[in-house]
Amino acid sequence: MVQLENGTNFFINDNVDVLIVILQRLDGGSLGVAACVCKLWCSITRNDSLWEHLCFRHVSPPPEGVRTVVLALGGYRRLYMVCVKQVLDRLRKWKKGTAFNESEVMRRVWMQHEVELSLSLFCVDYYERVFLGGGGGAAASSLMFLCNAVNV
Amino acid sequence: MKRDRDREREKKFFNGGVFNGGSSGKGKIWEEDEEETPDAGMDELLAVLGYKVKSSDMADVAQKLEQLEMAMGTTMEDGITHLSTDTVHKNPSDMAGWVQSMLSSISTNFDMCNQENELVLSGCGSSSSIIDFSRNEQNHQTTTISDDDLRAIPGGAVFNSDSNKRHRSSSSFSTSMLTDSSAARPVVLVDSQETGVRLVHTLMACAEAVQQENLTLADQLVRHIGILAVSQSGAMRKVATYFAEALARRIYKIYPQDSIESSYTDVLQMHFYETCPYLKFAHFTANQAILEAFTGCNKVHVIDFSLKQGMQWPALMQALALRPGGPPAFRLTGIGPPQPDNTDALQQVGWKLAQLAETIGVEFEFRGFVANSLADLDATILDIRPSETEAVAINSVFELHRLLSRPGAIEKVLNSIKQINPKIVTLVEQEANHNAGVFIDRFNEALHYYSTMFDSLESSGSSSSASPTGILPQPPVNNQDLVMSEVYLGRQICNVVACEGSDRVERHETLNQWRVRMNSSGFDPVHLGSNAFKQASMLLALFAGGDGYRVEENDGCLMLGWHTRPLIATSAWKLSPDSGTGAGEIEL
Repeated sequence: MVQLENGTNFFINDNVDVLIVILQRLDGGSLGVAACVCKLWCSITRNDSLWEHLCFRHVSPPPEGVRTVVLALGGYRRLYMVCVKQVLDRLRKWKKGTAFNESEVMRRVWMQHEVELSLSLFCVDYYERVFLGGGGGAAASSLMFLCNAVNV
Repeated sequence: MKRDRDREREKKFFNGGVFNGGSSGKGKIWEEDEEETPDAGMDELLAVLGYKVKSSDMADVAQKLEQLEMAMGTTMEDGITHLSTDTVHKNPSDMAGWVQSMLSSISTNFDMCNQENELVLSGCGSSSSIIDFSRNEQNHQTTTISDDDLRAIPGGAVFNSDSNKRHRSSSSFSTSMLTDSSAARPVVLVDSQETGVRLVHTLMACAEAVQQENLTLADQLVRHIGILAVSQSGAMRKVATYFAEALARRIYKIYPQDSIESSYTDVLQMHFYETCPYLKFAHFTANQAILEAFTGCNKVHVIDFSLKQGMQWPALMQALALRPGGPPAFRLTGIGPPQPDNTDALQQVGWKLAQLAETIGVEFEFRGFVANSLADLDATILDIRPSETEAVAINSVFELHRLLSRPGAIEKVLNSIKQINPKIVTLVEQEANHNAGVFIDRFNEALHYYSTMFDSLESSGSSSSASPTGILPQPPVNNQDLVMSEVYLGRQICNVVACEGSDRVERHETLNQWRVRMNSSGFDPVHLGSNAFKQASMLLALFAGGDGYRVEENDGCLMLGWHTRPLIATSAWKLSPDSGTGAGEIEL
């Protein structure tokens, strides 16, 4: 609760739209933490559109028709957790290693490629999970390599 | 106390129980000099115990200890008690001298003629590895294969730094004994530092023997490989074991059954797909080429020469679904071998892919063709629609090389391809020449290739995977995948080494060889663009242990390798304008 200048109290939970705007600026880990705060926050953070924003915030515009495909394959939250997060994390370390030109255009191009790769891997994941019955739990076996630590 | 402990250690070291016979009697006379600092020429392990043995004398000493044990075993117990009282022994920490003095004391008791017939394989440089095969033959002939024979084998330069990597630091000093029916007592001395190199040399010597049809020698060497392989660890051990098995099959003419269930091979390939990036690389790069060839086409048809589980196509369908302008109508023709249990595996895969296509909103059609060999098919069977309406891509991942086992098959298939008039032909093959006419060349090439492959598998399997929640490790999944991948490669090794004629289907050829063949058959190369390269690089960067993999661009083709050695190559082809039987082909 926050006390505003004009004396009224401001409960964040009463102003869900403000909450959503704030949550949109968080990264994946923080969203996970936010989900643990209370039931309201938990249900909001499970909303797929937040995760859609997270996946594509650096890629504008997102490829057309993506939403239908992603939703059909399991949703943005799953896309982020299974593919996008790993891809971004892993490639950030990799890019630091290589002599990487950080111009805005180059960054956009790389992000686009990363998104495409994530989507392809996501599709493979769906295929394996649904049709080949591979690997219980959150990730199919062929994507287990994404969960391995790098350079161990 | 100290002596007891050291004696225990020695018993552990010398498995043959060399000291068991006389330990009770020797206790009094041993002087263990603990203050000996290891000399440069002395073996370090024994020096710690107080025994001075030069590394160069090691084999000699071992042989004499062996003889000593035989002597003690055959004489009555009373016969040796004099050793503890009457005989003057030299300082036992100087093992060579001590053993010699022991032997000379009992020399009258047994016949040394057993040792006359030897097959000696001497090492180069230090003599720390000597293999004696003693035979009780009446003809006192000594067959010696000196080091010159090993050096005569070409390609020794191939094993440079790779073999050094396989020298594990675990110093295991083992004496093992092989007995065969003729009561021979070979002694094998294994020094871990040298064994990796020794193992490689023995493999090549065995292959040379097979090449020269000297099967008795090859037989001996194969057994020896088995011993040496056990002393190694990791990739080298597995490679050596598979090659030894393949050589043994060739020597004994126990050929592997060719009626391998293709469903089993599919399962193995799935594990291989999951363990390492080679197949993923193949699929992603081929898909990228197909995607680019299909730009602007509204109806597309892909012919997959080996459908298997169809792992390549979900990614392509997803990319088609998201391409600007919307997805085309996608038709897939899958070709596969007949199933032993008559199930229609192709239709099942087609059905799964159809469901996926419906999920992501791509119009999909599937047709499956069962064929023993690609040469049995031609353009008329495959229901090719006119090229003005439908663009065709042909995809072959690790399949075309099988046609080289029958004469005329590859030409027939390439002609069929030309009749089909595809927009693009994507070809992924192993980057190695395993099709040389001379066996020893094939063998050496395969040894190098699969050693590198196994090395890369080893690094990808070594890190234990964590579950997606990042908490619980799941090693069993990883290990099983790794083992199955190794079995998958092992079958290829077996086929390359042990089989001949039309059974030998793993006839890999290098990219340059395929280039020559495709060019002379009327195909022009299509350069794989930078998008494919970027995607491949990113894919590899995602793999644990990924810093060992390298993507290279080779004149428009992409190669994936482990460190400096390329292992698979993706290339793309289109029909030359002035060749082929396609009428009115639309130029890109």
